[in-house]
Amino acid sequence: MSEKIINITKGLVRAEFNFWVGLYMDKFYDGLEQKKIVANKCPKCGDVFVPPRKICGKCNETIALDQNWVNLTDTGTLTNYTITPYKINERGSRKVKKDQIIGMVQIDGSNTTIVYKLLKIEPAEIKTGMKVKIEWQEKTKGAPEDIKGFVKV
Amino acid sequence: MGRQVCVASAGFCEHASKRSDVNMPELVSEAIADCLAKVPSIGIEDIDAFVNGNMPAFEGANMPELWMTDWMGARNKPLMRVTTGGTTGGSVAIAGYYSVTAGLPGIDTVLAVAFEQQSQGDTSVGLASVAYGEISCLNSLGIPLEQLSRLLSAGAAIGVASYQATNYMRRSNITEEDLARVVVHNRHNAAKNWYAHLKMPNLTIEDVLDTPYISFPLRYGMVCPASDGVCAMLFTTEEKAKDMADIPVYVNGVASVANETAILGYDGAGAGQLDPSEQLGARRSSELAYGQAGISFPRKEIDYAEVYSPFPNQELMWVERLGLFEENTATEMYKNGTTAINGELPINCSGGVNSTNAIGASAMERPAEAALQIMGKAGNQVPRTVHTSLGHGWGGALNFVTLMVMSDEPQRKWR
Repeated sequence: MSEKIINITKGLVRAEFNFWVGLYMDKFYDGLEQKKIVANKCPKCGDVFVPPRKICGKCNETIALDQNWVNLTDTGTLTNYTITPYKINERGSRKVKKDQIIGMVQIDGSNTTIVYKLLKIEPAEIKTGMKVKIEWQEKTKGAPEDIKGFVKV
Repeated sequence: MGRQVCVASAGFCEHASKRSDVNMPELVSEAIADCLAKVPSIGIEDIDAFVNGNMPAFEGANMPELWMTDWMGARNKPLMRVTTGGTTGGSVAIAGYYSVTAGLPGIDTVLAVAFEQQSQGDTSVGLASVAYGEISCLNSLGIPLEQLSRLLSAGAAIGVASYQATNYMRRSNITEEDLARVVVHNRHNAAKNWYAHLKMPNLTIEDVLDTPYISFPLRYGMVCPASDGVCAMLFTTEEKAKDMADIPVYVNGVASVANETAILGYDGAGAGQLDPSEQLGARRSSELAYGQAGISFPRKEIDYAEVYSPFPNQELMWVERLGLFEENTATEMYKNGTTAINGELPINCSGGVNSTNAIGASAMERPAEAALQIMGKAGNQVPRTVHTSLGHGWGGALNFVTLMVMSDEPQRKWR
């Protein structure tokens, strides 16, 4: 029996996706553009969501679009972290010169966490529960990367 | 024997070509709210389990059921996803039926949700992922991937349906005008249905025939749109349904049957069948479902049918293959008004898939509409009382048919 190897060099189709974020996330990104954290609050249990969402899964309560909005500060608490010597968002095995810290941060006044890099902090001084603050990009554009990362207060 | 299952409610969100005001889980939550609004005595906390489904990879979001758990009210509850290509909605509905009829402890009321937000993705790419099952079969026969381009170049599903259409036209001796008549029937109906997508109350046969061909004999004006939309159905036991709804709808027969996938076979592998309009799967699934429901004369006993017809030739084909009309007579029935809303056997009063097609949801919208017609709550309600109705789905890779037969009285026990 002969063996035939098929190499596919070119795809036949191109995939294009557009993701609609919805009106709740729209408000959130508009907030980021103005260097503000916009959250919303479940009218039933009082949980505050960053980013905002339409339905509170805990109470199955629909949070109306025109109310329950809260503006939060740009400070928060580090609830969890990891330290990695590898580059993020790049091919796996590339190491960075300096270990990077990525952490879960609970913005003050919210009941959720968001994950970002921790900047200007030595791995030795990192501690769960420490207070951190958003480092904004100089020029914001209404996107998640408007938050460069978190620095210690 | 399983438990008797009832449909207590069904709901929709508003369908459009771009629902860019909502993300996927938000869109889903709209149909669930509409479904539950029709059963005011219960709330989302009374639902015991969830079934959910859409086309795989159409929106580029995998495992969306996990993302939207909170938006469905499914947090910490049993949740299952079913996806079977074009019939996804029908399979999700049948899975909802199975979940109730099984009689598991604590699982009486099940919410089935089928959705698609097509504006986010690329339909041809999505369909290619469905067709991949067939591509790998062909590869194993030594047929290269390039053969697929013959299918895709004709515009995804249309490439498949055009063969079906030409075969059907030759077999039944009908003209393009007859196809256009079905389109007009559907789009006029859609104009009276609140959630429908293509509402065209003034469309004429000439308008349809004035549009260019995509792939002979199908023209732009004849094919379904790509919609963003969601459908939800609430399945429960007979006892609970009597409390929830004024007219509980009894699900008396379900079937999902596949016969050989045909068209790619034409390209290379050789097909087990010569005529894609033959549709053995439809014939077999109707035998099964009618048998369960105790229906011997579908033409007499079924008062309303929703068939899955993205293309007009399919509507004519399905109503014949499902035993609603004699072979080669469907065209005549559309001409003489038998299938109109005040006719003897109204078909697709919602406007059908031809007017509204959020693919993952479409095959569930058929039984959902059929159930609402019995309840008297449909968007474009048939004036006559509907006792028994039929909801049909088509898709899979190509020849997969789902059926749900519903009635305002329970399953006959003497079978």
